[in-house]
Amino acid sequence: MKRLAAIAALASVATATACGSGTGTSTGTSAGTSDPSGGVYTTIDGSKQINASAPVNPFNPVGSVFAGYNGMTLAWPKNDPIDPNQFYPALASDWTATPDQSEVVIHLQPKARWSDGKPVTSEDVRVSIGLAYTQGGTAYALDPKAAGAAATIQVVDPRTIRITQGANKSGTFLSNLLSTVVVPAHVFGSLLPADFWHTLKVAQDGTGAAADRAKAVITGLAEKVIAFSPPRDVSAGPFVLERVNPGAALLKRNPYFYNSGLIGPDKVKVLNYTGNEQIWNYLIAGKLDNAPFTSVPTAVMDRIRETRGSQVIKGYSPVSTSMAFNQSRKPYDNVHVRRALAYLIDRNQVTRIASPEGGTAAATTSGIHAKAAKAWLGDGFGALDPYRFDPAKAAAELRAAGMTRKGDRWAMPDGTPWKVEIHVPASFSDWVSAAKSITSQLSDHGIDATVVTAADYTLYLGELAAGKYDVGFWLIGLGPSPYNIFQRLFGQANGWQMFGGHLKHVAPGAEGNWMGGPETVDGVNPGELTSRLQFASPDEQKRIVASLARVANEQLPVVQLWDYVNTQFVNTSRYTAFPPDDSDALRLSSGVWMQLGMIKKRQA
Amino acid sequence: MTVTVIPEATVQTTGGTTRATLRRNFWRGVWRVLRRKPSRMAGVVIVLLFAVMGLIGPLLYPDHLPRDDNALYSPPSLQHPFGTDFEGTDVLALVVTGARYVLLTGLATAVITVALGTAIGLFAGFRRGRWDTALMRLTDMNLAIPGLPLLLVLSAVWKFESPIEMGLVLGLLGWGGVARAVRSQTLSLRERGFIEAARGLGLPTTHIIGRELLPSMAPYIAMNMLIAVTGAVYAQVGLFFLGVLPFEANNWGVMLNLAVFNGGALTTPAALPYLLAPLLAILLLTLGIVLIVDAMDEIFNPRLREE
Repeated sequence: MKRLAAIAALASVATATACGSGTGTSTGTSAGTSDPSGGVYTTIDGSKQINASAPVNPFNPVGSVFAGYNGMTLAWPKNDPIDPNQFYPALASDWTATPDQSEVVIHLQPKARWSDGKPVTSEDVRVSIGLAYTQGGTAYALDPKAAGAAATIQVVDPRTIRITQGANKSGTFLSNLLSTVVVPAHVFGSLLPADFWHTLKVAQDGTGAAADRAKAVITGLAEKVIAFSPPRDVSAGPFVLERVNPGAALLKRNPYFYNSGLIGPDKVKVLNYTGNEQIWNYLIAGKLDNAPFTSVPTAVMDRIRETRGSQVIKGYSPVSTSMAFNQSRKPYDNVHVRRALAYLIDRNQVTRIASPEGGTAAATTSGIHAKAAKAWLGDGFGALDPYRFDPAKAAAELRAAGMTRKGDRWAMPDGTPWKVEIHVPASFSDWVSAAKSITSQLSDHGIDATVVTAADYTLYLGELAAGKYDVGFWLIGLGPSPYNIFQRLFGQANGWQMFGGHLKHVAPGAEGNWMGGPETVDGVNPGELTSRLQFASPDEQKRIVASLARVANEQLPVVQLWDYVNTQFVNTSRYTAFPPDDSDALRLSSGVWMQLGMIKKRQA
Repeated sequence: MTVTVIPEATVQTTGGTTRATLRRNFWRGVWRVLRRKPSRMAGVVIVLLFAVMGLIGPLLYPDHLPRDDNALYSPPSLQHPFGTDFEGTDVLALVVTGARYVLLTGLATAVITVALGTAIGLFAGFRRGRWDTALMRLTDMNLAIPGLPLLLVLSAVWKFESPIEMGLVLGLLGWGGVARAVRSQTLSLRERGFIEAARGLGLPTTHIIGRELLPSMAPYIAMNMLIAVTGAVYAQVGLFFLGVLPFEANNWGVMLNLAVFNGGALTTPAALPYLLAPLLAILLLTLGIVLIVDAMDEIFNPRLREE
């Protein structure tokens, strides 16, 4: 489950920062009062484990760069249920965008400096963007026709940078730009060849062999960038890496941080962990000042609450768990079968067993987390079929699907045995127990069902994408962007793909289409509607979301099981002023909380 | 010089009587050895109990074990001696119904380990020369295979849905040690007088191996077989605990996994009975086998007999 927590957190953060629409100008927070009392703040980075031999390089997946502490982006995403354009300023003090996001102008913090005293400039951002191109990304795609790809990057002055979007516009452009990780040009700049920008231009605008060669040159830099190991950490964040060992990374204050007065602790210790149990034990021992979202059994939660100073903060997490169907497999191609299964699953019981502290049973299947669904759909949310546990309705649906009854068991229409195989990765213990609970419930009502585990998540995703499973667990509702939310239901996994700016639907079983749903439902093409969410106006987005939620509810490509609750643990024995419940900073790291003026040393 | 001719029928009758007497005496000896130490009787009872559990345990419960939705991780009680699991299923029922897979895997592993190891060891030791060299290099390779990593890799492509499949893989990985030991014994025994005599009498190789060598090594092989069962139990429970093998709620390894990672059994006492029940089963099974091996040692090794 540890990995699921990390994946869910990363997925939600990634999607939160990956899209947006409209225009906006944000301003920085006002400077708070200085609290020089210091102390060592102890926490966990939920997205990675400590690797003492990893380089201090944010492009390295295991690098010793911790977001919010010694890793900085242009801005930090707020935890808004529906608006992906809400950001807290970070290295960007403010920004402006044209209504269609064709041009974004970013202003850097005037006082931002690296930990070696050099100023953070537009050139640092430009080099960071260049390095991002080597890794690939939505805004930094080499294909100029890709939706939301940047076209030009222009340094206006040392504190201002202007970036334009290519012809294929996307509302995700602004938020993708603001999520750019910024590294110092005087440390990382040597990774880019002198003619890099010319090569990039050829790759994007050229044709034929020359363009292919240029693309190969840029993608060929990826490994070099990932492997790069600076001799020491040069950070623009509130902290800079002092040392790292297999057990923990220790960071000390960056005296040049632009808002140093807001930072309470003198040092931050990021502890390593190998499993959730280790985090539970840290929390029970009162060693952690904060631990990110961690799956916790009820009994363990009770023990944690007993610890002196321990507090649990809960908030919105734009992630839901679902049970998805491969509709190219029988009998799951029949909507009545899918509905029957939805009626037979007691979601409250499943959630009570699988995620009692970190989830709430899904009110229905809409493809959206309930909190966001209420905001998007308003009264329309209540109009969706809730699929309450109802064996009689399930039996009627199965009969409507032509399923037959042999003795006390349901069989396929031709009388052959039917066994529901629910696939889950073995390492996600909450999914395993949820799947087991579902199989038990189905068995109670005459449907043979079994849980099949995959050895690890990577293998699971590979086999899922290859269409090897009938039914498997699947994360959905990855907001706040409505495009990202419905991409999980009517995107690549269900056959819709973007090629050169054009949407096409591939046959079930091909190119990652494992959901195998129909291209149109009653004349509605849900993939096309989902794609339009990228650049639709807010009003149109609402209409599309309502339409897609209805399709999801009626067609049930998945059965939504539970919505995650972001459960954070803090201990107020040493520090106070943590964000409250439902704070829109809750999914950000403690380092960002400090940048926002939270977390103060407890006064004796 | 006189030659005594014994009629064939008489030889057969005498031979049959002798074998029956030997068999009777053997079992009497077994009984005596077992009675001498109550722990040995306990070992037999434990192993028999598990055998019965594996044979008829699943028949004692319905196919789908009943659950109590309102008693998740309930503490031990008369109704649930080892409490309940994450979905309110009786933990004792899970242990009992899960015994068959564990024991069948253990048995399959032991049979394959011993059959392969003995055959290869005997053949290599008896034939010596190039056969010995080739087979022992093969054995070295087998011994050099890192079992756990290989099983982890294999589990990505092989689901091990039946205990026989699991046992086959564990057996194929584990015969090297037995083969080496049996070869050493064979090399030693083949120089003894009774083997020389058998050769001198012109008895066929199959007779020498099957009737002269094998019985001498039977105790050693039998003990290895029992120990292989415990090894197989540890290996497969370990793999299930790591979550790399297919999920079965009543598998002891899966129970341990869920107790630790889902129930927090190492952090709070709520799920502790769920953890302890399969652990206790594994402990008891191992104890039973060890106690029987102790008895076998004395049965087959006259020097250890106290009378």
